[in-house]
Amino acid sequence: MASTQPAPDGTVPVAAELVDRFCRILGDDGVLTAADELVVYECDGYVVEKKAPDVVLLPTTTEQVVEIVRTCNEFDVPFVPRGAGTSLAGGCLPVGGGVMIALTRMKRILEVNLQDRYAVVEPGLVNLHLTRHLAGTGFHYAPDPSSQGACTIGGNVATNSGGPHTLKYGVTVNHVLGLEVVMPDGRVVELGGPAEGLAGYDLVGLFVGSEGTFGICTRVTVRLTRDPEAYRTLLGIFETVGDATQAISQIIAAGIVPAALEMMDQGIIEAVEAAYGFGFPLDAAAVLLIEVDGLEVAVDDEAEQIIRLCEEQGAREVRRAETEQQRALLWKCRKQAFGAIGRLSPSYCTQDGVVPRTKLPEILEFIIEAGERHEIRIVNVFHAGDGNIHPILLFDERDEDQIARVFRASDEILGKCIDLGGSVTGEHGIGVEKLEFMERMFTEDDLAVMASVRMAFNPRGSCSPGKMLPTAGACGMEHIERSRPGKQAAS
Amino acid sequence: MNEGRKSMVDGPGELIPATIPELGRLLAANAKGERRPVLPVGGRTALGFGFPADPSSLEVSTSRLDRVVDYPARDMTVTVEAGCRVASIQASLNSEGQRLPVDVPLAHRATIGGAIASDAGGPRRFGLGTLRDYVIGIRCVTVDGRPFKAGGRVVKNVAGYDLCKLMVGSGGGLAVVTEVTLKLKPLPSSSAIGWACFDRGETVSDLLVDMATSRARPVAIELLGPKAGRQLAVESRQELPVGPLLLGVAVEGNAVEVEWQVEVIDRELRAGGAPDVTWVRDADTAKLWSVLTDYQLGGEAPVTIRACTRPSRIVEFVVAAIDAGVAVQAHAGNGVVHCHLPDETIDVEAAAAVIGSLRELAVAGGGQVIVERCEFGWHNKLLMWGAPRVDWPLMNSVKRQFDPDGLLSPGRGIDGAMQQAAADGMVVE
Repeated sequence: MASTQPAPDGTVPVAAELVDRFCRILGDDGVLTAADELVVYECDGYVVEKKAPDVVLLPTTTEQVVEIVRTCNEFDVPFVPRGAGTSLAGGCLPVGGGVMIALTRMKRILEVNLQDRYAVVEPGLVNLHLTRHLAGTGFHYAPDPSSQGACTIGGNVATNSGGPHTLKYGVTVNHVLGLEVVMPDGRVVELGGPAEGLAGYDLVGLFVGSEGTFGICTRVTVRLTRDPEAYRTLLGIFETVGDATQAISQIIAAGIVPAALEMMDQGIIEAVEAAYGFGFPLDAAAVLLIEVDGLEVAVDDEAEQIIRLCEEQGAREVRRAETEQQRALLWKCRKQAFGAIGRLSPSYCTQDGVVPRTKLPEILEFIIEAGERHEIRIVNVFHAGDGNIHPILLFDERDEDQIARVFRASDEILGKCIDLGGSVTGEHGIGVEKLEFMERMFTEDDLAVMASVRMAFNPRGSCSPGKMLPTAGACGMEHIERSRPGKQAAS
Repeated sequence: MNEGRKSMVDGPGELIPATIPELGRLLAANAKGERRPVLPVGGRTALGFGFPADPSSLEVSTSRLDRVVDYPARDMTVTVEAGCRVASIQASLNSEGQRLPVDVPLAHRATIGGAIASDAGGPRRFGLGTLRDYVIGIRCVTVDGRPFKAGGRVVKNVAGYDLCKLMVGSGGGLAVVTEVTLKLKPLPSSSAIGWACFDRGETVSDLLVDMATSRARPVAIELLGPKAGRQLAVESRQELPVGPLLLGVAVEGNAVEVEWQVEVIDRELRAGGAPDVTWVRDADTAKLWSVLTDYQLGGEAPVTIRACTRPSRIVEFVVAAIDAGVAVQAHAGNGVVHCHLPDETIDVEAAAAVIGSLRELAVAGGGQVIVERCEFGWHNKLLMWGAPRVDWPLMNSVKRQFDPDGLLSPGRGIDGAMQQAAADGMVVE
């Protein structure tokens, strides 16, 4: 064992001997230790909690990951896997420091099998790169998070990512067939595979969404989905948020399952319009981006039905994307909406909650009211068809008081989601951000069972400590206290 | 809750609690007292699966836990207790123009809890997925009586570990499922299944390659051997083509979608070498769907096995099975196959030989062969789950976390498969 002394903040820096060992495994260019390099890895998209890892490792093979994990165990140092760091709940925050295993250099597409409808990829592959690789084959990889131009498939597996088109096609877990996993003790295990219906427990389904706490996925077998034969993309423009949310309810209740059904409110329209100039009306309270797909013979009827339902709910206008360029621009506006928010505010916190779809009008009203009460500007762009809201709270991270109000408004909105029968996260995960909410959603028994499941994978708690479950990890890692978030945000 | 109702005890071996809390109390009492092995029981349609239950088991039936807890149709979700019969759930969903699009064998008897435990499915898994895609919330009771839940009542939710997935197909070996929330789909207004016969496996293989990129979007692609084909025609009272290989391709949707797809598939089947195509439409498909779904149970066959392999290897597998005299139904688009060994399989050695050769083929395709049912006494002589896979020890660790003392359905699932493989001298890491 290496002798290490706790730093003033209670964390234990890694020993120079350990860094030497990593250099021998990965070569010098696979090991980052300089402070100016580590700062890149100090947080994900959840910027209010930051903690740089002691060392960042960039393996290129499963064997290297195995050696890293074994070495970490030998030195009793915690480790956390990371993809592109686009997560929004601190899922890859290196709580307690230690080793970060960044999988971004493992980005090969190893196999594409169209007849058996699967592809085998490495975890660092960027989501969109797989879809681009498949262009022209008639198949695609269905989960399409808004960050798909940057986020990795491995990260999608860890967080069970969604995206606009998951309304019809399902989230990541519905599209993962198999995984190669380096277990927290260094064993390599194959879970599932391209043949479906294997006997025994669905460990693939269990692993997806485990936020890095079950091990490090080093290879993913994903299901490929047929491209739709045809689609129609509509833009419904509404005078009030209430009318728009009622229209959503009516569409779902009519038994229509659009491929995507997204809402943007006035605040976000303003930012998106300034950034991309689509021609959104700046005086509209909300727009719905609705896509139906399916057979060419059926999509027009479905589109007409949706237009009628929108008009019945008082839509000012429903536009159709007449060309592929118009459709692409609409989706760019939606998916890159977050990038446009920089025009509104220096910092923002994207919340993620879910309510039963018929409760959307209620939660939207509550969000507006909470924003006013806490004097925090909140804009909305979200997966309306799933009832998955994304209020974006705008603030300046140099202002501690604003941050405190952001936390209070967030907590109230998420609490309201629970009260309405929903969840505090639909796709971003618990990470470190929402640990406190776990005890509000789940009983002690629920959490004890979840903790026992983690014991089967990660008994020492060395892999991604301090995540997902509010109990302290086996290593005694405490999650970063949010009592002085302003200080952490500013640090 | 029906606290006023008393639990019924059917003989010394079966408990039928009236409420979920009562189920918890009974399990807790057993865990603290007699510590008998516990066998969760639903509609008794899958109890014969796999390794036999310990004869001293305390059966805990969910049949009185049959309330619909909440059906907010406009949210397209339903929450039901585990003892609800699948067909009765479907009937209430259908009245709202919705359905759970999963084919469950003997749906009038099968309970939703049992369907989840056994990961029941059928032909439409090709286009519509399996139970794992529809269970969004679950409540269970551990073998020592502690209630727990995971997921919730909303269609998208990543709070906590996804224990819903873990429970689907857990075979009653981890916990007793007491309540589930399901995501629903609209009920299609029209359906059609086209049937065609082929003489040669190669013709079907080529056709399936083309069908993978058909402009139509089938919900099921079924490939049946002659025995299964005959039984299907007799039981469904439909005039179906007769031949060595019977291929069925099904579509669903509104009338326009179905009509257009029927034309496309009809053309594709004929271009692929089908001498004729017989279409069964709308109301007439109902009986076909139920026969296609129930066929896997196998009636009186001495041995029933389930195989999985890659879809591209399916025809090779089906042809080998037919050559061995096996009655075979394949969900060809998924690579899942149900096989019933012939009545002439009178001894376990003959059964083992057939299973062995089919198993080799399935394993070569990345899959597996599981013996689902066999004659009494053959369980110990047939390798029920085959050679151990690399994830079995991890599955066994999960089992031990839930059931450290092996009281719940002991030896019926992964624990039984591990013991058998070890006894057979196979290394299990």
